[in-house]
Amino acid sequence: MHTELYAAANQGNLPRAGLNMVVLDPAHGGTDPGARGAQGVRESDLVLDLAFQVRRALEAQGFQVIQTRSGNENPSFDDRSAMANAQRGAVFVTLHISSTGLPGTVRVYAQPDMPSGLTTGGILSWDFAQAPYLTLSRKFGDAVQGQLAQRFRGSPGNAQIASVRQLRTTAAPAIAVELSSVAVEDRSELDKMMPGVADAIARGLLAFRPSYVLPVAAGAQP
Amino acid sequence: MNGRWRTWLLVGLGLVVVVAAIYFPFLRRRVKTAAKIQQPTEEQARRELTPPNPANPSDPVVKARMFWASEDRTGLAPISVELALSPEPVLRSKQVLNTLLAGPVDSELRTLPPDAALLAFYLLPDGTAIADFSEALATSTPSGIESEQLAVDSIARTLEANVTQVKRLKILIHGQEMETLAGHLDLTQMFIVNNKAAQPVSLSLGAAIKPNAASAAAHAPANRTTPRQR
Repeated sequence: MHTELYAAANQGNLPRAGLNMVVLDPAHGGTDPGARGAQGVRESDLVLDLAFQVRRALEAQGFQVIQTRSGNENPSFDDRSAMANAQRGAVFVTLHISSTGLPGTVRVYAQPDMPSGLTTGGILSWDFAQAPYLTLSRKFGDAVQGQLAQRFRGSPGNAQIASVRQLRTTAAPAIAVELSSVAVEDRSELDKMMPGVADAIARGLLAFRPSYVLPVAAGAQP
Repeated sequence: MNGRWRTWLLVGLGLVVVVAAIYFPFLRRRVKTAAKIQQPTEEQARRELTPPNPANPSDPVVKARMFWASEDRTGLAPISVELALSPEPVLRSKQVLNTLLAGPVDSELRTLPPDAALLAFYLLPDGTAIADFSEALATSTPSGIESEQLAVDSIARTLEANVTQVKRLKILIHGQEMETLAGHLDLTQMFIVNNKAAQPVSLSLGAAIKPNAASAAAHAPANRTTPRQR
């Protein structure tokens, strides 16, 4: 838990490479099914299908994609973050299906304000790895949410703020995307949403790409 | 004659042994079940130690603001409720949280599961509140970022509106720190309440700060979440 990221931030050594990679995180898996619908649909299965579609849309735009899981495994929150934290020039997208909410809507979440996470010596604390990326994450979130609002009526126009556990330890621009919901009568209603969600994420990321300038010092907000 | 009696006696005794052998496992199971019913679970025992609503008839009746779900359940909407509230902050917090748990008249607008209970509430001198809820808060809150945030936000907002002494909130489940509420929302962090930058009612949650207050002081002060347009 308290492994530390070697950001070497004060030396200005953070990677300056452009955005070229997306770490996709289909949430839950293994013994954790996530949200479950009355019809037996499981969030863990749905987000895996969604991830494959998002992956295709991103790869079509020239992004490199890695997934935190490709089957029915359940890596820990830290293991999933670690996959993103090991990359340069990456953004992180965790995919969810909710139990509640207006069916057919999609919300994007970014992390709330948090302590700088920087210890003396420029080492970024694992527990607050998201801290230097808050502004970028919100910008990325707004870009994707804007695309989603055009496709899914009733979705908000801007990204929401929530303390999502998965985002806190991720040292990259990071968002959670949540579709409503497993309460639909038929899973085909969710399947129909997936291409639109995938396209919105890919277009939102393209729109965000010019803003992707990594923080000069990990403690400072760009 | 004697031999006949002996045979009947042996057959009778044999029958008794067979019946006893069949009945014994049933009897054992019934005794075990009875013992289990009599023994309260650890949580029940704790609930009995902490009476649910310590209302005092001499407490002044005030208009408390309870944050239950809005009509469309996408956020929170404050509802004024007349409550006898103690001026003492711990007692007052327990009273408002128990009212929040009891739910509004329209049960569709509940934010917390009906079987959840407040087990304990502590307030440290620096304004850090620790609210310990029963396991049902974690197991019965629908899994999802939206639903979990609605639950936590309703607790934080209701404390904020009614107990000025509470500055930050830590939520425990049955005395333990949990990583998440129901798979998504981070419970390892504290939620900021009563940061008098007068925030409008929005979806925003309290900002995360380091759980350990001493080390939190070493970091930049945690700011309240910037309210976002919904």
